[in-house]
Amino acid sequence: MLLDIFDPKAAPKPIGIDLGTTHSVVAYVRDGRPLAIVTCDGGPLLPSVVHYGGHGEVLVGRSAQAYQERAPERTISSVKRFMGRGSEDAQTRTLGTYKLSPPRSPEEAKMVHFDLGDRRKTPVEISAEILKSLKQSATEQLRAVGGAVITVPAYFDDAQRQATRDAARLAGLEVLRLLNEPTAAALAYGMEQRTSGTFAIYDLGGGTFDITLLRLEDGVFQVKSTGGDSALGGDDMDRAIAEKLLMAMGFEVPSDAPRSVIGLVLSTARDAKHRLTLDSIVTLELPRKGGGGVAVMLTRAEFDALIAPLLERTGRAARRALRDAALEPGDLDGVILVGGATRVPRVRSYVAELFGQEPMCDIDPDLVVAYGAALQADQLGRDAGDTLLLDVLPLSLGVETLGGAVDRILPRNTTIPVAAKATFTTYADNQTGFELHIVQGERELAGDCRSLARFTLKGIPPLPAGQARLEVSFNVDENALLKVHARELSTGIEQEVEVKPSYGLTDDQVEQMLMDALDHGEEDFEQRRLAEAKVEGSRVLAATQKGLLVDADLLEQPERDEITRAITLLQHSLEPGTGPGTASRIQALTQALDDATHAWAGRRMDRAFKSALQGQDVARLAQTVQHARGVDAHLEEHKKSSI
Amino acid sequence: MPNPFETLGLAPTFAIDATDLEQRQRELNRAVHPDRHAGNSPAQRRQALSRAMDVNQAYRTLRDPATRAEALFELLGFDPLASSMATDPALLGDMMEQRELLDEVRRHKDVERLRSLKFSMGERQRQIVLALGRAFEPLLRPGTSPGEESRQADLERTRRLFTELKYVRRFSEEVAAIEDEI
Repeated sequence: MLLDIFDPKAAPKPIGIDLGTTHSVVAYVRDGRPLAIVTCDGGPLLPSVVHYGGHGEVLVGRSAQAYQERAPERTISSVKRFMGRGSEDAQTRTLGTYKLSPPRSPEEAKMVHFDLGDRRKTPVEISAEILKSLKQSATEQLRAVGGAVITVPAYFDDAQRQATRDAARLAGLEVLRLLNEPTAAALAYGMEQRTSGTFAIYDLGGGTFDITLLRLEDGVFQVKSTGGDSALGGDDMDRAIAEKLLMAMGFEVPSDAPRSVIGLVLSTARDAKHRLTLDSIVTLELPRKGGGGVAVMLTRAEFDALIAPLLERTGRAARRALRDAALEPGDLDGVILVGGATRVPRVRSYVAELFGQEPMCDIDPDLVVAYGAALQADQLGRDAGDTLLLDVLPLSLGVETLGGAVDRILPRNTTIPVAAKATFTTYADNQTGFELHIVQGERELAGDCRSLARFTLKGIPPLPAGQARLEVSFNVDENALLKVHARELSTGIEQEVEVKPSYGLTDDQVEQMLMDALDHGEEDFEQRRLAEAKVEGSRVLAATQKGLLVDADLLEQPERDEITRAITLLQHSLEPGTGPGTASRIQALTQALDDATHAWAGRRMDRAFKSALQGQDVARLAQTVQHARGVDAHLEEHKKSSI
Repeated sequence: MPNPFETLGLAPTFAIDATDLEQRQRELNRAVHPDRHAGNSPAQRRQALSRAMDVNQAYRTLRDPATRAEALFELLGFDPLASSMATDPALLGDMMEQRELLDEVRRHKDVERLRSLKFSMGERQRQIVLALGRAFEPLLRPGTSPGEESRQADLERTRRLFTELKYVRRFSEEVAAIEDEI
């Protein structure tokens, strides 16, 4: 193992990151088992707190937490709640110690900005600091870090996912995949126990709640439905206690208390919550408004009553998820608990009542998500994994129609990746532009859903109303990220939009921020680009050569010659000892090889497709033969599963 | 987009076995899901992604009886919505009556009656689905040409059932929304 660590040619290790509301974890896989990496704080859990000092220094983790009371405005915790959120969002106005900076332009209003005195920072930049710290810890232990699988709450919408991906890019991480937290947890459990069956994953974290129902069979984790609340978690329990405490301290309106007092009370509340896991009563010493002190007693029964409305919200989401999956609690083979907040005794008993069975919690609920992410990262790094995660779209995607209603194009709980098309017509004579407003959510009116993007398809020839026909395609990839493509059918005018919501960053912005973050700016940046270009070039080269071993018979001679030529050129460019400007050359040659294999890749995929279908037919045939021995039983079975 | 039956290697039919459909989706994803091609060249990853999208879209279309019926109508070159025939007044009257019942249930937050309404609508949907399977059969039977008149009658019968299915489903969605509310 030691040799492995000191091998200078050691392949970069892929990592899995659980970027949590209250704390974050990074893990990797060694000998098939996931392991959490010790962070700069000396344990696997890094508090998701970032402190911006007065001299430009940035602290992350426990050292940042130490400033929570002294410098509350410069110390940001629970930043995950703000990912992909605008200053108009109600969630950004909950009880907290931070100060938000008013937007300077309508464009800015789409993304929250924290006021840190001398600086303004976005949630994306703050999250990137946490990711950088995790990457640093991983690099120290593993020497070379490869790509990362980063987890997000299953219920995160497109904007929140985009923001997470941007934060990772900003931290200089290659994102292999955004993975849903409950699915990651299921993967960790499934790999451990190698079972099959139907499971519910109840994930109550610091700031988010997810419920996922999935079926595990033949190594495939197929999510049946998912639901939740991206602003509900252990933090809300703290706030519920804190509001009670503030009143006892004499602040009739809790949010009127000074920031430093709120900081103190929130940490007292968190502490009380933890102690109530074992104790049935706690006494808390707090300062009284206007001087003096006050002792407040809190019993577990009182705490249970305080969090009852929060639990009821999780119950509603769970019942809806069951209905969407057409499942009853009795159909479940197990219930998995994830997230630190599931340590609360009342949460456990509530889950047991909800599903009618005792939940499982064999794997540490704080680490299980990072373990799953590491396992998935490891799988993606290798060719021959046998597991596959089939996840779903968490929230419906649609287009606003005339009158403000939503035309749903892809309903929630559709397996991803997926594509869908819809056709719209013009509603006015001689209409030459068509405005599209893309929304996500379950409400009937577009105004009540999350607005993802607006764009206008221009240049439609003047035609009577209803004559021009606009075809809109939605493409959702395996990360649940959306791309929209619009085409006017009579003229063929096309437009593709990456739905980068309004709060996303442009590639130029990210590049600029990356440059700013590096010590030697441009020099370092060029080095990085070269290293990345080499990795990608070698990958394409290796994949192509491997393909030639298997599917060379699908090539025509001229095509084969072209590929051979492209391979030789790329190989030369990857040899050491090349001068400046090589990154661009390698990129261009990589692209050329990729282009040369495009048509061939399609034929190779056709072959894989056909063989999968044939395998299916063979299996079906075997099944039919087996069933033929008892035709009646077979008919009975068939009737049952007909849809 | 290719026809969903072809994508999943199935003959066009309305009576589909749920387990078989799911297995096909699973096995095809095993072959083409982008995660299975993570280490491959961008050209292959693009191909894989686009095929996985087709598979999952086909699965979504065929799993749901209403969209499955629509896919079959499209194969038959028949637009059920363009038909000049009005919706059956008996069906309309019936649905209006059911809707009044539902309003009453909502006002009184009557969980018991909501449950029984949900059950009877579910049962009705199952019956319509079975009937649709029978109605589509002669239209999709290969080799025989039953004559234009009989074909029109068959199409009209399936169209009526399809309309009823859509009404019943819309109703079930409202029941679900009220369940959430109560």
